[in-house]
This record gives sequence, structure tokens and C-alpha cells, in this order.
Amino acid sequence: MTSLLFINLMRSKGLMVGLLVLFMAGLISLQIGKSFLEKNEKIIEKTREYQEESIEKNVELHSKEIGLLLYYLKFGYVNKMPRITGLAIGQRDINPSLQSVTIRNLEEQKYATDLMNPLFQLLGNMDFSFVLIYLFPLIIIAFSFNLISEEKEGGTWSLVISQTSNPITLIKTKLLLRFSIIISLLIVLLILATLYLKLPWDVPLLAYSLLSILYITFWFSITWFLLSFHLNSSQNATYLLLTWLMLTIIIPAGINAISTYKYPVPEAFSTVLESRDGYHNKWDEPKEPTVTKFHQHYPQFKAYKHPEGKDYSWLWYYAMQQMGDDDAAAVSKEFQEKLLQRNQFAANIGLFVPSIHTQLNLNSIGKSDLGNHLSFLKSLEHFHEKKRLYYYPKIFKDVSVQEENWKNITLAYFDEKIPDKWYLQLISYLIFIGSFLIWGNTKFRTNKY
Amino acid sequence: MRISTLLILAKHVWKNKLSNSGTRWVIGICNVLLLVALLSGYQNLTHQQETSRHFSHEVRERWEKRPDKHPHRMAHYGYVAFRLPYPLSFIDYGMDSYVGKAVFLEAHKQNTVNFSEASHSNGLLRFGEITAAMIWQLLLPLFILFLGYDLIAQERESGTLRILLSQGVSWQELIFGKSLGLFVLVLSLIIPSIFIGFLLLLMNDQAFAIPFIYVRFLILVSSYLLYLLVISIITILISANSPHIKSALIQLIGLWLLFTLIIPKVSQVISFNMYPTPSKIEFDTTIEKEIIKQGDSHNPNDPYFKKIKDSLLAAYKVDSTQKLPFNYSGYVMMEGEKLSAVTYQKHQESLTRAYIKQQNIIRLTAIINPYIAIKNISMALSGADYFAFANFQFQTESYRYSLAQRMNELQMKFISNKTKTSADKKSKISQKNWSEFPDFHHEFQSLSSVLYQELVSFTTLLLWLIGLCFGIKLFTKNLSAY
Repeated sequence: MTSLLFINLMRSKGLMVGLLVLFMAGLISLQIGKSFLEKNEKIIEKTREYQEESIEKNVELHSKEIGLLLYYLKFGYVNKMPRITGLAIGQRDINPSLQSVTIRNLEEQKYATDLMNPLFQLLGNMDFSFVLIYLFPLIIIAFSFNLISEEKEGGTWSLVISQTSNPITLIKTKLLLRFSIIISLLIVLLILATLYLKLPWDVPLLAYSLLSILYITFWFSITWFLLSFHLNSSQNATYLLLTWLMLTIIIPAGINAISTYKYPVPEAFSTVLESRDGYHNKWDEPKEPTVTKFHQHYPQFKAYKHPEGKDYSWLWYYAMQQMGDDDAAAVSKEFQEKLLQRNQFAANIGLFVPSIHTQLNLNSIGKSDLGNHLSFLKSLEHFHEKKRLYYYPKIFKDVSVQEENWKNITLAYFDEKIPDKWYLQLISYLIFIGSFLIWGNTKFRTNKY
Repeated sequence: MRISTLLILAKHVWKNKLSNSGTRWVIGICNVLLLVALLSGYQNLTHQQETSRHFSHEVRERWEKRPDKHPHRMAHYGYVAFRLPYPLSFIDYGMDSYVGKAVFLEAHKQNTVNFSEASHSNGLLRFGEITAAMIWQLLLPLFILFLGYDLIAQERESGTLRILLSQGVSWQELIFGKSLGLFVLVLSLIIPSIFIGFLLLLMNDQAFAIPFIYVRFLILVSSYLLYLLVISIITILISANSPHIKSALIQLIGLWLLFTLIIPKVSQVISFNMYPTPSKIEFDTTIEKEIIKQGDSHNPNDPYFKKIKDSLLAAYKVDSTQKLPFNYSGYVMMEGEKLSAVTYQKHQESLTRAYIKQQNIIRLTAIINPYIAIKNISMALSGADYFAFANFQFQTESYRYSLAQRMNELQMKFISNKTKTSADKKSKISQKNWSEFPDFHHEFQSLSSVLYQELVSFTTLLLWLIGLCFGIKLFTKNLSAY
């Protein structure tokens, strides 16, 4: 019987059109992912070239004073983008994947953004995660909403009942057939993705695939649950589409509004003002307090002093720059924490809303979520601090520019680790799927026809 | 076409649909959703207005409180400009969440406008934002197709279509009548929110002073009504063309998906490939290289500035810059600022033009997709489109330039050529000069420029309606009653 059902299904024109649309959308999304990866590589390559060129030029131009040279030198720090980001672009089109910073005050540098047409950002990328989260469920709905009602409305339902002792098995087989077709398409697309985007066969890919499969299974479990009510076709379609609308548009947008309202970030603006005053005002103030504060921050540099009576020294200049960061440190930390709270809030809500859960986790696998960006910023601070600690004593001692090997400076990379217990994220799906299947089963048992 | 027949048909749709509890639920839910969207949008607007006002005030206060000092130090202390939300943006956030809100303005350097809402987002923003505009342009069409997909297909399936046609109702009357009925239903979804939106607009204290803002609201609302009328007619046409209600529903949902999600997303890839734009690093390097070629105003031996020096010395008949009647380094910096600002402005303008070209490709897809037309119109009238942002950017750059040049002027006028450093007591000028320099005020674009910028979208939306009305005649020729 299964083979007959299969042949019958494959003959339907609608199914073929649906699968074709899904397949084409999948291919387009892979192309979009690929060009995104290429664009990023190009930016990194350009920055590498530019950095080498600019260091060489500046070393030549400011060869007498290392303090002045380091005023100009920029050090690039890259947030490494794994290939799998091509499947989940997430926030990577908004937050820059690369920052070039001088050892001066970091607060004024770290929020710089890349150039991007805001309309593109508004419309959003059609990456594979979009196809998965939005389009796959719609096709699932279109294939299965009238699984039973079609037979009832076409008058063949009584025939079905008379020929089989258990109509539930028939419905199960029909749904399983659709499930295997959709899952096969998903797997084909994922395999094509690994070839086209040159994805390594690693844990993130496994995680991505498992999440996708479970998300699809979740939608089939909802369909199964709804079918157990034996509603007519248009009711089924209405309820399923309403579920889709709630899960993919209304609830996430609502949660977003709540999280913006609940965790406002006026600190963003305060950091700018504090850091600006922290640094610039020191020009007009007596030099001693600035230098003393600097010594309090870095006791190891106490031996270096501002030459008395002088109008200017690099120690004092970099101490002022340091104050820009130190004065903004408190608000800046608060700002980062608010963002972390926003991130955590979304993750918590996600446990109850599979579409949000999927989007956030796919982004996390693609290292394109807010969490990744915040870790990058944190790491950028360490990177910046390391550069400072390395160059400060050289500047204060005024070592000769020629003594340093400037050729060795290349781009540095930040590579976030994937969380150890990523598989725990799958539990939320399993609970949803399990409950819908069991609930559906019990309903079917009491409500066979 | 007989008006009375149209009215009968429309009334029938209205009565028939309202008798269904499902429809009443849809109307109820939709209105609640719109109310929530409007109130939260308004709350967001006042919050942003408040923040922007608060910080602008603080920036001004800190600026005026700076003690006496060397003017060039003030040029580096600089200013921070905040973007004001246009009061109508509580209806449509448009690009507001994706473009920055604050920019640090200082001498010699053009910083990016930072701190967009999107850069603070946990990723949920990509699912969209709940605004009245989103519901009007995205969800209402979905409701329309749910309410209307069966209006003719159902009659065909049950056989009543033949009876109707045999009683002398023409196809055109049928389609227009049903569309009218559907549109009246739509009015019950949108009118309460228009009313509340208008009340909220009246409540806003900043809206009051802006010329033509109520006219803008009126045009905005009329455009939405036009759009929804277009969607209603399309729905009825597809219903008329479908043999079964099921196929009508599937076609309509497919079309909705195509209009609202697929075409916009795919067209942006095409437009980027047609007009590629530089990344920040390319943009900055090009400008930097060009400026270095022109000369370095901080380097006294630079050939370009040496030439200026020589001609100045000749003109004033003195033998050293120290003897010039004005501060020489102030003069050099003024020249340097002028050169670099012109270069920057040239590149910034070409970047803006490239973005607009990219957007124009998407704008043109309105010919096949009315959703894009209304999206652009709505963003523009709500003051949340790219033109509004580019205009803000332009204003901040001119303010930055005038600030830097004012400080250079003060330096030329009041600072002696003999002072060595800015720390010198003689190099300080009174803080009165700071408060004399005017504050930054973000000015909104005028209604006429907004209308002009979106001329294409207005025209295409109108063409859709005209095209559909004329198209029906041709279209109905091939329709059958079975």
C-alpha cells in the first residue's frame, strides 16, 4: 500500500512545484551565503594589504619618535568567520567582522561600523536558515493540511475506512511519506551546501543538520497533532497558517519589542560622552593628576615620570588617552551587560518558541549571533590591552623605531569556541515533538474517524 | 456597470462574511494587534525623542562649560550629534533601526554614525518589527486573501456562479462588486487604527511644529487604502480564475510569499551585483590616498603647503610666517580642512548615490510587486527612509565642517604666531566663543522633496490600480462559469 501511496503522491503536480520552489530557494540561498563569505574574505585581504602598506609608510615617515609612530599605527583584529556562516549569516551583515585599532583610547574606536546599504539590512539576507525557518514549514503545511479532509471532502474517506481496520496507520504512512520526502530534500540541500561552500565535516555542521532536521520534525508533529482534530480543509489551512504566522513573525517581533523595552541601552550614548570628556578635558587640566591616575592603573610604569615643567610628554599623552577608556569603563561595562541580558532573554524565550530557538542556535553555530559579537568585543579589549602593555614601556623609554621589527605585525584573529554542551539545545525540540506526537496519538485513538 | 448591482454584491460579501465567527475573530485580533503596535510604537517614539533631547542637551551643556582654551583643542573636543526621530515614525520604523543614531564630530575626521538599534539586537530584529506599517502592509494582505480567496471560487464550486451570471450580472460587475465588498471589510480592519494613529500624532508635542505633518499623515493613510484596494482586487481576480477554492488559496499564499519575502530579498542581491559598493576599508583607503596626494597640512615641508606659504609671504611682504598678521598654522589647517572635506564629501556623495541606485533597482520591482511600492512610500512619509538618513548625515558633516573652520578662524584671529603649544597661557581664548557657536539642530526633509523622491513608487501604485481596472475587461473574456 505504501508504494501505491508513494506513486499517487509523486504524481501530484502541486507537490512537484512545491519541491521545486523549495529546491530553487535553497540554491539561491547557498549562492547568497557563498558571496557573503567571499565578500568577507575580500575585506580581510584588503585590510591585510592596507595594514602592511600603511605600517611601512608610517615607519618611514615617523622614524624618529616611537610615541608619534604609535599614534598612527593600526592593528587589525579579525573575528574569524567559519564557512558555515554562509548558512546562517545572522548579525554578521550588521556587526563588523574586523576592527582596526590604534593603541589610543579604545572606546572611540570599537563601535565603528562597516559601510552597508541599510535597505539591504532591512530586507534581510535570504540565507539557508531563512529558507529553513520560513519556507520549509509553509511547504509542509501545503502538503499535509488536507491529508484527511481531502478524502472526506472528496467522498473517498468511507472507502478508506471500509478497507482498512485502522485508518490511523494510513494517515501515519501518508504523513511519513511526506516527512521522508522533505527530509530527503533538506539532506540533499545540506550536502550540496557542503560541496558548494566547502564546509568541513565537523561538529558545527552536525549540529546545524540536527537542528534543521528537528525543526522540520517539529512542524510535522504540529501537523499530526492538528490532523487528529479531523477538521475540514479550510479550517486546517487556517490554523496551520496562523501557527506559522505566530511562530515566524508575530511572536518573535513581539519578543523583540519587549526585549528592547525591557533592556534599554542609553549607556550606548553615555559611553561616547564619558570617553570623550575623559580624554579631551585632560588637555586643560594640570598634568600631575592624570599621570598619577595612570600610575594607579599601571603600577609597573611608576618608574616613568612626566618631565617637570615640560608642556608635553608621550607618557602624559597616552595617560590622557587611557583616561578616555578608564572614565567610560563603568558605563561601557553596564552597556555590555545590558546587551548580554538581552541575549540571554531571547535565548530563554527561545526554549518555548522553536522558530526563535532555531534562528538563535543556527546563528550561534554560524558565529553570527550577538553573543559572538560581544565575545569578539571583549577579546578586542584584551588584544588592545596587550598591544598597549607591549608598546607603553617602549614609548616611555623612547626606544628607537629601528630597534623594533615592524614587519612581523600581521592581522590577529579571534576564534570563538563552540559551546561544549550544544546538544542540550536539542532537548527543547524533543519535548515539543514528543508532546505533540503523544497528544495527537491519544486524540486519534479516541477520535478515529 | 450598474452601481446598484455593485452595491448589492458588496453588501452580500459584507453580510455573509460577518455572519462567520471566524471573520469577527480576525477583525478583533487584527484591531487589538494594531492597537498594541501603535501604542508601543508611540512609546518607543517618545522614548527616543526624550533620549535624543536629553543627550543633545547634555552635549551642549558640556560644550559651553569648557574653560578658556586654545580653539584647536575645542575643534578636537568636538560635538556629538543625535538623530531625531520623525514623529510619524511611530507608524513605520522603516530603516531607523538599521541606521546609526549618534555621530561624533571632530576636526580632520569624518566618523561613522554609530549605535543603530540593529547593532544592539539579539537577532530577533531580523524577524521584523511590530509596527502599524508592518501590519498594514504585510499582515492585512494576508487577512484579505483569507477573507477573499473563496469569494468567487466557492460560488463556482457550488454552482451558484452560473445562476448569478445567467441572471444578467456581468463578470466585471461581479469582480468589482466582490472587490468592493472585500475592501469594505478591510476598512473595518484599518479605520480604527487610522483614527488612533491620528490621535497619537496630535498628542506628540514635537509633531505640532513641523509643517505639513498632518498632510503627510493623510497621504500616508490614503496610499495604504489604495494599496489595500489593489490587493483586494488581485485576490478576487485570482479567486475568479481558480477552478477550486483550494487552488485559489494556494496561489494567493504563494503570491503573498513572493511579494513580501522572496522578491525583496532576491532583488537586493541583483541590485548589489549591478552596483557594487565599497567596504569601509576600501572607502577609507581611497580617501586617505587622495588626501595624502594633495598634501599634509601637519607637515611644514609639504610641497603643496610650502607653495601656499611662499605666496602668503610674498603677498604680505614679510620674510617669515611669524610676522604674518594672522595665525599661520590656523590658516594652514583651514586650507587642509577644506581640501579633505571636499574630497570626503565627493566620495560620500558618490557612495550615497550608489546606495540610491541600488535602492532604485528594488524600487522598480514595484512594477511587479505593489508591496515594495507601499513599503517605500510608507518609509518615506514616516521620515524613516534612506533619504532622511542621508540628509541627516549631510547636515552633520556641514555642521562638523563649520565647527572646525570656526575654530580655525578663531585661531587665526586671536592666537599669536609666537605661541609654541596649545598649553601656553597666551594661546587660550575665552569660553564665550564656545557658547556663541550655534547648537546642532536636526532639520527634517520637506514634504515636497519626500514626494519627489518617491515619485516612482506613487506612480507605480497608481498604475497598479489603473492597470487592474482596465485589465479586468480583457481578463474576464477567458473566464468560464464552471
